[in-house]
Amino acid sequence: MREVKEVRGVSGVRDLGLPLAHFLAHLGRALRAEGVGTSLRDELDAADALTRVDREDREEVRRALRIALRIPRPAFETFHRLFRILWDAFREGEPAAAPTALSRRPAESPALPRGRPPSRPLQWDPDTRRIGDTNAPGISVEGDQPGWSPEALLRRRPFDQAEWSGQELVAMERLLARLARRLATRRSRRLVPTRGRGRPDLRSSYRRALRTGGEMLSLARRARAVEEPRIVFLLDTSGSMDTCSRFLLSFALSLGRAVPSAEVFAFNTELSHLTPSLARGKLRLTLDRMAAAVPDWSGGTRIGESLEAFVEDHLPYRADSRTVVVILSDGLDRGDPGRLAEAVREIRLRVRKLIWLNPLLGDSLYEPAAQGMQAALPFVDHFAPAHNLESLERLLPHLRI
Amino acid sequence: MALEGEGYIADPAIATAVFLARDMQKPLLVEGDAGVGKTELAKVLARLLATELIRLQCYEGLDVQTALYEWDYPRQMLRLRISEGQDKDRQDPRDLEAKLFSRDYLLERPLLRAITRPERPPVLLIDEVDRSDDGFEAFLLELLSDFQVTIPELGTIRATHPPQVVLTSNRTRELGDALRRRCLYLYIEHPSLEKEVRIIRTRWPQAQERLTHEVGRFLQALRERRLVKPPGVAETLDWTRALMSLRQDSLEPEVVTLTLGCLLKDRHDLETVTPSEVASLVSRAREAAQP
Repeated sequence: MREVKEVRGVSGVRDLGLPLAHFLAHLGRALRAEGVGTSLRDELDAADALTRVDREDREEVRRALRIALRIPRPAFETFHRLFRILWDAFREGEPAAAPTALSRRPAESPALPRGRPPSRPLQWDPDTRRIGDTNAPGISVEGDQPGWSPEALLRRRPFDQAEWSGQELVAMERLLARLARRLATRRSRRLVPTRGRGRPDLRSSYRRALRTGGEMLSLARRARAVEEPRIVFLLDTSGSMDTCSRFLLSFALSLGRAVPSAEVFAFNTELSHLTPSLARGKLRLTLDRMAAAVPDWSGGTRIGESLEAFVEDHLPYRADSRTVVVILSDGLDRGDPGRLAEAVREIRLRVRKLIWLNPLLGDSLYEPAAQGMQAALPFVDHFAPAHNLESLERLLPHLRI
Repeated sequence: MALEGEGYIADPAIATAVFLARDMQKPLLVEGDAGVGKTELAKVLARLLATELIRLQCYEGLDVQTALYEWDYPRQMLRLRISEGQDKDRQDPRDLEAKLFSRDYLLERPLLRAITRPERPPVLLIDEVDRSDDGFEAFLLELLSDFQVTIPELGTIRATHPPQVVLTSNRTRELGDALRRRCLYLYIEHPSLEKEVRIIRTRWPQAQERLTHEVGRFLQALRERRLVKPPGVAETLDWTRALMSLRQDSLEPEVVTLTLGCLLKDRHDLETVTPSEVASLVSRAREAAQP
């Protein structure tokens, strides 16, 4: 086993018994399988740490491993669970049994509730003009009315590559890159060399004076750097946004390409993190990944709850006082407007700017009368339409650095 | 436990982390909510090792000149002017140059001081590293792995004794993976009831036993509520101090309401915790603290 060899291969760690090295390698692999990024270097440090603590004391071993493997706070539970299983197997003297011990664990997958009927091939339904599982009961009941269904219908919207032209995508990418720059660019407090105006930089002025025999002919200057945009997009993928789903898709796609540092989330009845699925690659693959990432495409809306989830789980780590948050939603919410307002307020407090783009605002008859929208409006810095490229373009001049 | 001798009540996780960081000679990255004692840990560690604490407070825009070293330009300039006035034939320009770029004209900033201290390894506290920008973080990486600094005019300065490094972060942004990998990682939780009572007792031994217990219970109950900024140990200690100055030996709802500002530092939190709620929290804390 390669990993075991490598863990044992480092001097100073050699006196660690082979079974313990096995145990560490198993633990590392199990952690990686659960999405806790543990590297070989962490395992080596862990092995080193184990040589320094009382290996008979289970609690001490667990603490030492947690510290040396740099397990982040949110992953503590996963770590404790895996440690328990693997340590027990190890103490019983059968490290080889560990993988079996792990696989005995019931499969957990929060997105897929158990008891789901086996999936059938999707078909085009001419009546509802949707692609769906026509035989499944419940689908036809869901009419045109937007709203949320308590059980997220695990319908996956098929993304067809032919739906938009390549040209459109390219134009979109270009526009979004400009938009993001305009939205989130700011002057950092860090000083960088500049040719123009700025504060005198004595250090490089002296260095430059060397060229002219110690005579300082010109002053070098530094000015505040322009920072990379930090931007978080929250896209509403609920049924009421269906008419612009095509726009949304290309929006998310182009965003991933144009502004790689942007974080993208999608929400309907629950929140999903889209950024990982937007990684560069084949378009078809990206679309599949997105379809898999959003469990309830065109389902109901619970903006308040989704934004609350964002506030709880992601806001502290993915947004700070330099970030600009953009919500793209129609504000048609079936949830409690109070909760929505509270979530929007909390986001606003933590970030630099909060922008709400509403696709319905393009319709001249539309008034932002929806309760959710009303509740959120006081905390929004910019409220602007976004139903096509043109509307986004019109937004640009209004946003200053 | 040695840490306790210095007035720091550490749970086993903290003790293990400090022990491993010293034994493995690795930086220790400490995270946790505000006020749980991250900075205090470094201070206590310095006292415990009887060495100097060198502190670098990070902020946005912190650059190498402020963190590492800078030449003392005004003094160099002055020296030049003086030498210009002197007799030209008697001095060697190379001599002057060597003098100008010697340690005398070098302003040592915290990081350089930490690696050049001659006597014994200091404790280097890099506080709130999450506030610095990515560029500075990358620079730290280099320093933390080799403990050496290259100054073009002087050459490479290697650490005489690698300092014991403690980094703290409030998680206002996610730190880079590379930095995390260089360190051992400790997450300090809010203290348990027993630990909190011991902390208050250690810091304010003159407080009434009854008050100490009630304060502990009240804080535990308060933290269970959804607050924007849950109070940390620092707030607990401030509050106990405030109650002592008001000559309280037990919690009274009115006094608690008046002094709530010591604990809750957010307007929204102050509004959500109403006087009636304070009253019920206080009565529960008093009941539970009955011997």
